[in-house]
Amino acid sequence: MTAATLLRCWAVVLLAGLPVIAATLPAMAAVAEPPGLWTGPMVGETPATLQGATVIDVPALELLLEGQVLLIDVGKAARRPDNLPEDTLWKPVHRSIPGAVWFPGGGGGDLSPEQAQALLGRIDELAKGDKDTVLVTFCKPSCWGSWNLGKRLVEAGYRKVHWLPAGIDGWQEFHDAVPVQPQPGWPPADD
Amino acid sequence: MGMNQNRRVVCAGLVLAPLLAIASPVLAAGGTDSEREERWQDLRQSIFGERPVEDGAGLITLEAPARALDAALVPLTIRIAPEHRDRIAAVHLVIDDNPSPYAAKASFGPAGDPAVLRLRVRIDGYTNVHAVAETKDGQLHGTVAFVKASGGCSAPIGVSDEVAMQGMGEMKLRPAGPDTQGEATLLIRHPNFSGMQMNQLTRTYTPARYLDLVRISQGGQTVLELAGDISLSSDPAIGFAYRPGEADAFTVLATDSDGASWQESFPIPAHTQ
Repeated sequence: MTAATLLRCWAVVLLAGLPVIAATLPAMAAVAEPPGLWTGPMVGETPATLQGATVIDVPALELLLEGQVLLIDVGKAARRPDNLPEDTLWKPVHRSIPGAVWFPGGGGGDLSPEQAQALLGRIDELAKGDKDTVLVTFCKPSCWGSWNLGKRLVEAGYRKVHWLPAGIDGWQEFHDAVPVQPQPGWPPADD
Repeated sequence: MGMNQNRRVVCAGLVLAPLLAIASPVLAAGGTDSEREERWQDLRQSIFGERPVEDGAGLITLEAPARALDAALVPLTIRIAPEHRDRIAAVHLVIDDNPSPYAAKASFGPAGDPAVLRLRVRIDGYTNVHAVAETKDGQLHGTVAFVKASGGCSAPIGVSDEVAMQGMGEMKLRPAGPDTQGEATLLIRHPNFSGMQMNQLTRTYTPARYLDLVRISQGGQTVLELAGDISLSSDPAIGFAYRPGEADAFTVLATDSDGASWQESFPIPAHTQ
């Protein structure tokens, strides 16, 4: 058996084994967790996991909602196009899970230190300084923002961080969503 | 949205209320049909002023997918019942939760037929869509459909802006089919940039550029005049009906928000009705 044939055999074995590997280790096939905050394109495939946090679906969220939960939405606010005619009717509405607090764009991986401080400071206020507060982060599906915020919260020492990758769309499969306003003082004004 | 769902949302709100005092105004409003109705009344006021929109049952219908396959390309069909067609001057389309909700107004001219209007639109979030018929004496009759679609206004086109603009203004006109005499579909190549689409790599927004007016006429008589907005999908397809006339060609004039304009003529498909 030549070396080339051996290689080919190995390739066949490897390829044949791939579906099995993919099935047994689904995490390997998915996007890996970045070591820190994600600063690439904010819309795209996200990891299946978030170290230090619990990944939940909507039924799991419903169970959590039987207790006290701080729901944190970092979905983006609609941006009025610069060149839209002045007389165009522009009435953006942001719908969220009832009771959620909204920090538009708060999931950015490249927030300034002031922004990050304002974000975490406000969340600390809402959680009354309790690191055992049950937190749930979300935005839209395929959105890195809620992953990033979950990461920030874990790093800030919160012990019950939950990430809802299905986001507001997942919620709306079962429930209606309500209009919300951005959190007061968010985003902090640029100096 | 049945009672059941509403009740569940209210329950969740009650549980959350003690913890989230800051969110209580939202909870008080409730995540229910009544809140969506409130928004609709606000939009109605902005668009139609003090004129009420009556229930259009039996006069106007709106066909929309309950769940859109592509939120940037949601097909809608508006129909006017035969006995009312002669008194309809225009049809308005409002996508309640789109940031720019007033998606289109179609005005019918003497050569037009309000029997059917088909459009493809962008839908930004799960929303009510209202179609409102306006009679020649200014009465309004509306109908509504709920559509599950998300992210349509900001969805990237998928190609570079330059590629998306290639052939801009090119048009085609197709008869709607053998069973639909007197109907045709006008296709216009145009990216209809919403101004909300971000290039993910450069992180810049492509400026809005959309068809703001499409006028279809035959022999100097208007068939349809469509005032459009950023909620119309790229490469707009406009399905419309027309009355048999003496002219043998449609003339189409399209202008966009950058002031560009295009004009073309098409033979009128045979009309045997």
